[in-house]
Amino acid sequence: MKLLKLTLHHIRRSPFQSLIAFVAVFLSFSVLNTFVYLNRGLNHVLNYFETKPEITIYLKDGLDAEKITALEEEIKTYPQVREIRKISKEKALELYKEMNKDNPLLTEMVTASVLPASIEVSANDPRVLEVMAQKFSSKSEVDEVIYQKDIIQSLLNWTKIIRIFGIALVVIFLIASFLIIFSLIGMKITNRKDEIRISRLLGASQFYVKRPFLLEGAIYGVLGAFTAFLSSYLTIFVFRHSINHFFQPIVFVNEFSLLDILILIAELLFGLVIGLSASWLGARRYIKW
Amino acid sequence: MEIVFDKVTKNYGPINVFRDLDLKIKAGDFIFVTGPSGSGKSTLIKMILNQVKPSSGHVIIDGQKLSEIKDKREIDRIRKKTGVIFQDFQLINDLTIEENIALALDIVGYPADKISSRINEVVKLVKLQHRYFLFPSQLSGGELQRASLARALSVEPEVILADEPTGNLDPTNAWNLIKILQEINEKFKTTIVMTTHNMDFIESLDKKVIKLDK
Repeated sequence: MKLLKLTLHHIRRSPFQSLIAFVAVFLSFSVLNTFVYLNRGLNHVLNYFETKPEITIYLKDGLDAEKITALEEEIKTYPQVREIRKISKEKALELYKEMNKDNPLLTEMVTASVLPASIEVSANDPRVLEVMAQKFSSKSEVDEVIYQKDIIQSLLNWTKIIRIFGIALVVIFLIASFLIIFSLIGMKITNRKDEIRISRLLGASQFYVKRPFLLEGAIYGVLGAFTAFLSSYLTIFVFRHSINHFFQPIVFVNEFSLLDILILIAELLFGLVIGLSASWLGARRYIKW
Repeated sequence: MEIVFDKVTKNYGPINVFRDLDLKIKAGDFIFVTGPSGSGKSTLIKMILNQVKPSSGHVIIDGQKLSEIKDKREIDRIRKKTGVIFQDFQLINDLTIEENIALALDIVGYPADKISSRINEVVKLVKLQHRYFLFPSQLSGGELQRASLARALSVEPEVILADEPTGNLDPTNAWNLIKILQEINEKFKTTIVMTTHNMDFIESLDKKVIKLDK
């Protein structure tokens, strides 16, 4: 009797137990995928800020044009400065309205006078910005300097927390899947002990009688990992535009790429290892005759 | 396959089943093993299958002492050359008779493309050709025993161990089974070791008899 046929026969004989094992693996890998995509998105966000070093110098109200021009000239004296953009109060209001065009309540009460004028400075080398931020924050014309280093640090902290939390959650789920497959295979072996005993009497080796259970574990692992990847990817694909729109101009979710294929292969292998090792241990624990 | 019991003693705790049993079964023999319940008939069969180990002495198969075989695969090889029939049939209930036989053939490594034709041959031999696609629960006692025999025969064994195979059968079915076993023994020179309580078989057939006392 063919191995696959016999294994599928075992799965069909106890469909609910099999479903539990499959769902456990599916959930584990769904959680894993969620964190994989979240991590990739956060890396894009970090990368965006890291590759676009910028500071924003908010000016105090009531500065005359000469003082502002003097500040601009001073900025230009720094090496590696790529671009200087002056944002007047009117321009700031325009930008604010554009950002909140879908929410009229936020724009109705705001006038140009409440928004500060600012100078945005981009540089090729973020170290220049660090020096500038220190220098300009102490000037009397300057209200506040926002340096993206703070944002990056904050993002790094959040990414680290999310990664640790994600890894912990994934490990817990994977251990649970492992234990579920292990005990399920144990139950199935107990249910089929007569069949195993008869097969052994007919000359079947221990490996021969273990094979269907090993394959069964491998099927749960691989199938659970594959369907989790598929459902995660489809969910991300469906909401990709909305997510990217929310994070624009950052591309939070990429198009399907080689990396996704590599992740799929890695997850399938990982699922295979979990399913096989859990069922192998289960078979070793319960098949002793 | 030659089977030798060399001064075999078996105790289950304080209970002695047999002591210093010497026995030689030659290839092609048809042997009845008889004796009252508890005399060790089933134990003798189980010892040949290495399911039960002697308390002392040796069971020797084809010159190999079973107790000295270290490689478990060697025991599996001996079992593959042995067909077994039990009183309670020992068929796998959620497989059809065809699948039960196919499993036995797969275990011995029978060529996959020849399994189907081999099943057809053996079910015809035991006159089960119209019932082999059914599950064990759908067959009568006599049919189940013939299915069990078909499974044992399918692997072309050198020896058939039959542990009270007629115990659950009516006289007609029991005699039919004996006739088939006799035919196999004569036609294929397959060694038959059969335990039984039934003195009619023993008296009617001119075969070697091992009588175990309690």
